[in-house]
Amino acid sequence: MKKQVAVGSALAVIALVVYIMAKGFGTDPHAVPFLLSGKPAPAFTIKRLDNDQLVSLADFKGKPIVINFWATWCGPCQTEHPVLDWAAKKYANDAVFLGIVFEDNEQNTKRFLARNGWSFVQLFDPKSTVAVDYGVSGVPETYFIDRHGIINHKVAAPFVDPREFAAHMETILK
Amino acid sequence: MTWLALSLVASLTLGQEGYAPQRPVTDPLDAAREARVQRLGKHLRCAVCQGVSIADSPASMARAQLDKVRELVAQGKTDDEIYDYFVERYGEWALMEPRKSGVTLGLWVFPVLLLAIGLYVIWAQSKKGPAPAQQASGEPKAEPKTDDYLAKVRADLEK
Repeated sequence: MKKQVAVGSALAVIALVVYIMAKGFGTDPHAVPFLLSGKPAPAFTIKRLDNDQLVSLADFKGKPIVINFWATWCGPCQTEHPVLDWAAKKYANDAVFLGIVFEDNEQNTKRFLARNGWSFVQLFDPKSTVAVDYGVSGVPETYFIDRHGIINHKVAAPFVDPREFAAHMETILK
Repeated sequence: MTWLALSLVASLTLGQEGYAPQRPVTDPLDAAREARVQRLGKHLRCAVCQGVSIADSPASMARAQLDKVRELVAQGKTDDEIYDYFVERYGEWALMEPRKSGVTLGLWVFPVLLLAIGLYVIWAQSKKGPAPAQQASGEPKAEPKTDDYLAKVRADLEK
């Protein structure tokens, strides 16, 4: 009986260790958790980069929204810019595209957009308050918000393939 | 002249790509509240760093997070409300030390529990006393219980 208890306990400990290791190996240790999926997108009011007018999230009530946090000093953001440019034009009638400039200055941003395309509204977040409210953990990050104002999910990686972007769009156009 | 040219090139390249430009420094709160901001910042993990608190990290994101703490302190939020703000976004990962409540309480209790079990096992073993020592080599060993076959072999040998 004692032997059975000892063997059972040892097996339970081994199973626990295997479970913990399998869970650990199955996740990216550098990935920052994100808990806002399925929750209302935080409200904000910040200024547009092109005309200094204030823009609020509430202005787009009832429409699917894509928010892209980016910066000109971020290489991957530059890489994905053509994909976002393409998507903003393709889905112009279906969704609102907003760029939120993270930890950058207006001059750099305007120069970059003038050179590489300025196809959707760009907002300036000088103290990164909006970025922190959205749980941003680096740039680029793209948030997909449904027409009810709920964050469907975010993608914390640059888009290089328009088809991949289109698949994400499907989740909020339903 | 060379230094002037190098500085010019460096300022043009570094200022444009690869680095976040210097952001304006936020005005600290009064001494007491700013001390609280720094204390809370020590307990919150920087979102873009590896295991560094937002109070200790020079990263721009950490400074943005610390500004958020400053804003929440200025609004009169309690420590728990401020921690909750970050936990709602990043989960318990946002805390440098897991909370001593809920599921994470196990992280504090489990090691103590394991230590207690270990101490109990040691105590239980020591209570039993040492295992019976083997008899001195000079003394004849007690005859082990023999089976019928062995007895028969011995009887045959003695014949």
